[in-house]
Amino acid sequence: MSAKAMTIVADEADSWVDNYQSISPAGNHLPWLQAQRENALKRFAQLGLPGIRDEQWRYTNLRALKSNAYSVSAPSSLIPSQLEETDQPRLVFVNGHFRSDLSELKELGPKVSLLNLATALTDESSDLADNIANYFGKSLPQETHGFSVLNTAYARDGYVLVLEPGAVCEQVIEICYFNHGESQEANTVSHIRNLIIAKANSQCTIVERHMGDDGSVYLSNAITEIHAHENAHVDHYKLLRESDNAFHIGGVYINQDSSSHVKNHNIALGGLVSRNDIYCNLNGQGAHIEMNGLVLGKNRQHVDNHTEVHHVVPNCTSDEYYKTILDDHSRSVFRGRIIVAEDAQLTNADQQNNNLILSPHAEADSKPQLEIYADDVKCSHGATVGQLDAKSMFYLRSRGIDAESARALLTFAFANEVIDRIKVDAVRTELTQTIAGQLLAGLEDLV
Amino acid sequence: MLKVTNLHVSVFGTSILKGVDLEVNAGEVHAIMGPNGSGKSTLSNVIAGRDGYEITEGSIEYMGKDLSELEAEERACEGIFLAFQYPVEIPGVSNMAMLKAAINSMRKHRGEKEMTAGDFLKLIRERADLVEMKHEFLKRSVNEGFSGGEKKRNEILQMAMLEPKLALLDETDSGLDIDALKIVSQGVNALRSPDRAMVLVTHYQRLLDYIIPDHVHVLAGGRIVKSGDKSLALELEEKGYSWLEGGTNAAASLEQVAN
Repeated sequence: MSAKAMTIVADEADSWVDNYQSISPAGNHLPWLQAQRENALKRFAQLGLPGIRDEQWRYTNLRALKSNAYSVSAPSSLIPSQLEETDQPRLVFVNGHFRSDLSELKELGPKVSLLNLATALTDESSDLADNIANYFGKSLPQETHGFSVLNTAYARDGYVLVLEPGAVCEQVIEICYFNHGESQEANTVSHIRNLIIAKANSQCTIVERHMGDDGSVYLSNAITEIHAHENAHVDHYKLLRESDNAFHIGGVYINQDSSSHVKNHNIALGGLVSRNDIYCNLNGQGAHIEMNGLVLGKNRQHVDNHTEVHHVVPNCTSDEYYKTILDDHSRSVFRGRIIVAEDAQLTNADQQNNNLILSPHAEADSKPQLEIYADDVKCSHGATVGQLDAKSMFYLRSRGIDAESARALLTFAFANEVIDRIKVDAVRTELTQTIAGQLLAGLEDLV
Repeated sequence: MLKVTNLHVSVFGTSILKGVDLEVNAGEVHAIMGPNGSGKSTLSNVIAGRDGYEITEGSIEYMGKDLSELEAEERACEGIFLAFQYPVEIPGVSNMAMLKAAINSMRKHRGEKEMTAGDFLKLIRERADLVEMKHEFLKRSVNEGFSGGEKKRNEILQMAMLEPKLALLDETDSGLDIDALKIVSQGVNALRSPDRAMVLVTHYQRLLDYIIPDHVHVLAGGRIVKSGDKSLALELEEKGYSWLEGGTNAAASLEQVAN
């Protein structure tokens, strides 16, 4: 096996498959995992990377992503400049590799395990490997795409969080992913795989931060699986602040049992092309999913969010709230699919997608898809694309606020409606400041 | 302070004001009454600088300056305040944030330093008490979920904070019950001063029981057809607008479009 990874030509499926021989993902001693990986690789050989001919990808421009060559990077010792001191539990990954030297592994209680996937797979002393075997890949949809099978085949690290029944993790868990370009010839690709297993009556809050060095080109292919059992509460944040030249393809796949509450907050601020597929299966009565999304697009950014909520059983609720602000030549796509199965009576589903266009060159595509097979349900959805409200502008200007500041205030207010839904004070404050810094230049002290 | 001369205004191409003359001096309170569609709101909106109101003839002079040269925010900074007939709800911008931005913008315009956070808080609490507004409303988004009365009180609070030289109150009494009307009027009366002028635009005489005007004008068909003292309002109340000629409903429908 060569020490140096081969270069992968993104658009050639064979290139990925051939390269697979040169890497050794963790846990290959586990037959179940090896079988999943080999299946995934075979599937990938058939699928290849998706393109505009695939219905679900027709709005996602992957030309730039595919025109690059990538290599799976070796572990690096680089210390990311963006990393700040913390007293919270935190796992850090650089170019897809876990960095124990930068991580803070705190005692989270007897019934909570948090560690990196590669380590978890080799830990034979505990039930962890069993847990992982029982859940790994189980929330992914049957119908999938090249990136996600590639992730299953290639993923060598990520985090594993297991909460045993009744475990309540009070501390906010932070996961940081840094990427930086490595060489001139090939850009880094990292395949991250995360797994949250929240057993009955457990609770946790987890913040994923995806970041990269300014200007560096890389591909981050990250999947998080969330399994929430009866009455479990999972608050999951994904903050995308990739480099302006980076590609991020992400998936969050959620399975929920009865009375579980999951919140997924998806905040996309960076990256040249980013896409998130967020799928949720409401499998037990009384389950509730909240999906909040905020996109701030600028320059030539392209941001896609594809959500699917499957109401499988009766009495579940889903609440989806996505907002997009586009400036310059940026583009966004929102697809929100809600499927209410024949048995899923008394479903209550709400979906809102509001897009604010600040530039004549920006474009937002919004595609709500409601498929309702039950007859006693309450489903509502709304999609808007527009500019700042002229009445609100005049109102603020008539109070002496100049047009530019009025625009900034209203744009911030539009974004802030999503931020306001964040219940973790520290995260909300941080994001408010970040968004204010981006949208309210000079007026930050107003918020 | 304000001198409106032969003012003709078109809204979306339709002529609404057809030669209005009005002079308002510091310390005076003027009431402009008139039937629906007479152009009352157009007059206050055009003075405040709302987009879409085109001056086709005549002029508006304020403190010796031609107002048409100034943007809405510049007029506000120069001391013009419009209390809206339909205050706008702005979710996500708190009352405090808006007023802080407004005050600091005006101070900047005058070449003054920003108000300190402490001074601002003290002032806004004091002024909120003037209109009997609970302090928790200050942190809420501008007018969001406010009742009609709360919205109008909020307009008067803003006026109290911004301390204008010329306040235009557009149908501030509409949609108010008697208690709210009293509170709003108390607020307005407290702000009367020798160097401040006020123009009350109203359909009903009722408001003028609480805020006694120095002059009353009747606007009909885009012109001021009659001027007098407060007794004119009572006469109107008694006889109705029908004894005045020239009313048109065109402006009413257009103002609804604009709003």
